[in-house]
Amino acid sequence: MTVTICIGSSCHLKGSRDIIKILERLVSLHHLEDRVTLQGSFCMGECTKNGVCVKVDDEFCTVIPANVEEFFENQILKKVNS
Amino acid sequence: MNIYIDTSYKSLNKYTEELCGDRVEIIRTDEFVILVLADGLGSGVKANILSTLTSKIIATMLSNGAKIEDCVDTIASTLPICNVRHLAYSTFSILQLFYTGEAYLVEFDNPTCVFLRGGKIMEIPFENRTVSSKNIREARFQTAIGDTFVLFSDGVIHAGVGAVLNFGFQWENAAAHLQSAVDKENTAARLALSLSQVCESLYAGKPGDDTTVAVAKVLPERVVNLFTGPPSDKEKDTFLLHDFMAERGKRVVCGGSSAQIISRLLNRPVKTSIDYTDPELPPIGYIDGMDLVTEGVLTLSKTNEILSEFSKYGVDYEHIKALDRDNGASKLAKLLMEECTRLNLFVGKAINAAHQNPNLPVDLNIRQRIVNQLTDNLRALGKTVNVKYY
Repeated sequence: MTVTICIGSSCHLKGSRDIIKILERLVSLHHLEDRVTLQGSFCMGECTKNGVCVKVDDEFCTVIPANVEEFFENQILKKVNS
Repeated sequence: MNIYIDTSYKSLNKYTEELCGDRVEIIRTDEFVILVLADGLGSGVKANILSTLTSKIIATMLSNGAKIEDCVDTIASTLPICNVRHLAYSTFSILQLFYTGEAYLVEFDNPTCVFLRGGKIMEIPFENRTVSSKNIREARFQTAIGDTFVLFSDGVIHAGVGAVLNFGFQWENAAAHLQSAVDKENTAARLALSLSQVCESLYAGKPGDDTTVAVAKVLPERVVNLFTGPPSDKEKDTFLLHDFMAERGKRVVCGGSSAQIISRLLNRPVKTSIDYTDPELPPIGYIDGMDLVTEGVLTLSKTNEILSEFSKYGVDYEHIKALDRDNGASKLAKLLMEECTRLNLFVGKAINAAHQNPNLPVDLNIRQRIVNQLTDNLRALGKTVNVKYY
C-alpha cells in the first residue's frame, strides 16, 4: 500500500510534517514498514478542503493532525489487514 | 569574453569603535567593475568620514564618465595633509576590471594587492608615478578567468602586532593564507570572510586597527533559469516551457503546480521526499534534468530572507552559514549567490485557488511581491536579473 502525503505550500501550513511524523511512528509501531510505503507529493489539487490531503492508493482523504490515529486505523490498518 | 566579476568585502572595526575607518565602494557598469578601498587616517568618525569621502569621490567621478587618472588627480590634490602628522588623510586602492579582460590597478600607500592565478601569487607590473606630489603606483595588465584579487587595509598586515606576533601578520603571511584558502573558499565572500577571521583571531577579538578585506574574482558567466508559478492561461504552459528549456544554464523549479507542468509536458515524474531536513520548510523534490525542485512561495520567501541579509548587512559568518543548511531555501539561496551570475525568471501569473483559503495562517498569495523583492536583492548583490511574466 502506498500512502502519499501532500507537502505543498498550503498542506505544509496545515501540518503535513506532524502528520508524516505520526504516521511514521504508527507504521513502525505496527511493524508495517514492509507493507506500507509513505511518500510525499507536491500539491495534489485538493487544498481547498479543510485538512491535509493524503492519498491512500488511489483514494483521497483529508487529515488533520488531531485525527491521524483514527485515520490510520480506519483507512490504513483495516485495508492492510483485510 | 563572457565574464563576471564576483566582488565582496568584510570589515572589522577597531575595538570599541562604532564606525569603521575603512571604506569599500563597488561600482558596476556595462563595461567594467570598479572596487575602491580607502583607509582613513586614524579611526572612528574622522577616519570614517575621510575614507567615505575618498571612496565616494572616486565612485561619483567614475560613474559620471571621468577617467580614472582624473580621479586619482582629484583625490590626490583634494585630500588634505594633517597639520599634526604631516600625512595624507586617506590611503586608497582602486581596482578596475573591464569585461574585455583588461585590469587597471592604482595604489596609494595601501598594502599591495594580492593577485592569485592558478594557486600562485603573481607579480603585478607596477610603475611608480607622481600625481599632485603624491607617489602612487599603477599597473595595467590582462586578467583571465579564475584570477582572484585581494585588496586589504593595513589592519590586516598589522594583525596581532606586539601581542600574539612581534611584527604582526605581515603581507607575506596574509598572501600565503589567501593562497592556501583560495580553492576551498571559492567565492569572493567566503575568501574575504576567511582572511578577516584569521585577523580577528590574531587580534584576539579586539582589533587594534580597522581591518578590511575586499575581494574580486573573475568568473565565467553562469546562468540560472528559475520557473515559478503556473501561467495565467493554461495554453501558455507550452510557451513558458519552451522559453524555459531554450535557455542555457541551470534549471530550477519552485512550486508544486509548476513542477507538475514540467512533469506533464516533459513526461518525467516528480519525486518528492518526506525527509523534513528543516521543520519550517517543505522538503524538496526531484525531476530528471532539473537542478533543483522546491515548493513555491514558502521556500522563495525564506530564500529572499537569506539574500536580504547579504544585501543589507554584507558578509557575515552567520549569513554564509545560512547558505550551507540542508533545506530547499538554503540550497536555492546558495545557487543564486554562488553559482549564478545571471538569473532568468519565468513567472506565471495564475492565482492559486488553494491559496485563497482564509483559514491559512499566512498569506500565500504573494508570489509576485516575493519575485520583485528577490529581483531587487539580487541586483543589489551585482547579479543580472531578467524577469518574464506569463
